[in-house]
Amino acid sequence: MQKILIVEDDEKLRNELKIFLEKNGYEVESLETFNNTIEDILNINPDLVLLDINLPNVDGQYVCKEIRKISNMGIIIVTSRDSEIDELLSINYGADHYITKPYNIQILLAKIASLLRRTDLSAETSDKIDAKDFIINTSNSTIEKQGKVIELTKNEYKILKYLVQNREKIVSREEIMDCLWETESFIDDNTLTVNITRLRNKLEELNLKELLETRRGQGYILRK
Amino acid sequence: MKFKNFFKDKIITTTLLLFAILAIEIFLIAYPIANFIRIYIPIIIIVLYIIGITIEYLAKKQFYTNLIMTLEELEDKYLITEIVKSPNFIEGKILSNSLQQINKSMIENVNKYKYMLEDYKEYIELWIHEIKMPIATSKMVIENNKNEVTKSIDEELEKIENYIEQALFYARSSTVEKDYYIRKTSLQNIVNESIKKNKNILIAEKISLNIHDIEKEVNTDSKWIVFILNQIIQNSAKYMKSEEPSQIEIYAKQAKENVILYIKDNGIGIKKGEITRVFEKGFTGTNGREANKKSTGIGLYLCKKLCDKLGISIELNSVQNEGTEVRLVFPKGSYVDIT
Repeated sequence: MQKILIVEDDEKLRNELKIFLEKNGYEVESLETFNNTIEDILNINPDLVLLDINLPNVDGQYVCKEIRKISNMGIIIVTSRDSEIDELLSINYGADHYITKPYNIQILLAKIASLLRRTDLSAETSDKIDAKDFIINTSNSTIEKQGKVIELTKNEYKILKYLVQNREKIVSREEIMDCLWETESFIDDNTLTVNITRLRNKLEELNLKELLETRRGQGYILRK
Repeated sequence: MKFKNFFKDKIITTTLLLFAILAIEIFLIAYPIANFIRIYIPIIIIVLYIIGITIEYLAKKQFYTNLIMTLEELEDKYLITEIVKSPNFIEGKILSNSLQQINKSMIENVNKYKYMLEDYKEYIELWIHEIKMPIATSKMVIENNKNEVTKSIDEELEKIENYIEQALFYARSSTVEKDYYIRKTSLQNIVNESIKKNKNILIAEKISLNIHDIEKEVNTDSKWIVFILNQIIQNSAKYMKSEEPSQIEIYAKQAKENVILYIKDNGIGIKKGEITRVFEKGFTGTNGREANKKSTGIGLYLCKKLCDKLGISIELNSVQNEGTEVRLVFPKGSYVDIT
């Protein structure tokens, strides 16, 4: 499991963030004291560190610079300072991303995931998701079942992936749109309907039509 | 300074001098001297007097004319003491010295307020960074405890965030200090970021987006421009028609000297007479006074102010019941390429 270290002096935020990231399948550690911040981070040696700028005793940007001299771990600066200059400085000091508080939690999650994929070359994350009844190929956005391969469009792929992630849960249309908008596919209500219909037809080609169910007035559910 | 006016000031001296000449003439009658001398004495006195006041007049005229002319040409009139040289006659010296002292004290006074404003701005910025902490924490708590209640609180938090953002930029817009950083920025990134930020309201209002031709680069501060776009998009989302499908179209056009970003909606539009006033502070208009709109008249005012600082021009066109179009014109001058 990949290890994330939270360097944040607000205790409550730290704990909530920890709960959230653990829920999303990461191993999470956090610093409780900030006397030897740089050494502590290097000792724990996480795959990724979420670093606040305003820390007691030390400046986050300085920490970032010092860590970068020694380690190649992913660094995401998370701060309430939102000027262009702070961002530029942090990136120059070797931070991989710069997110301002209050952050959009989905964006944070997406950046963590993409950064970990990039930094963790050894783990070679699989480009196939096994959805039991079929397999999703993340590299070329296709689905396959028993050797039969069907191509998905960008939006169909994103929708299916979201449904698989939330399997057996009712997913509202708003939630799906929210997820698509987050990845910059700004589709409207009608386009979503069209995409769902097409996705259903493609699933039918694999004899999986009954898998995607519509719950009137509530949304969709991907059955087991 | 006209000679007539100057001479009026000399009327007492002149009258006294004429009396003196008269007195001398009366005195001379008692003595048997040549007529030539009787005439010569007053003429010599008058001629010398005229030469004297002419020299004085010319010196003063030069100084005061220069002073008035410079004052008229100067945009910042208080700089006059830095430009006009102190003259060599006494009233001029006194005037010049007084001006310098008045100016100095005025500048000190103005600086006092400038520092106060700066101080206040710093406090606001600090406060804003502090208030963002509990908001971020609250959002995390909500994320870990998702239900109908927390979702509703989340929506309110979002409104709070928007108001805070406005306060931050209001503080930034009213200082003289340069607070932005201009560099090459992708319009696409800016637009995407702004839409993502407002996705909740856009999805809730069922607004379809038509974004095209925005793969262009402009020189600007992305943080500021995202804030400006947020205000414009939020306005569009707020003032939509209920009876037909809402749409926002965003696209850019490259011209020779600039890049123009268009944000166009098919909303309720703005009354003809009110269009010119939308950038005024506190102007809410007929639309804004409607129930539930809660317009403060700050959003567009701030946009205009920030645009002015960034050197972008913001223009607005609208037809009532048809929609509104906002244009942001980014100059493409070669001088900004250096940054």
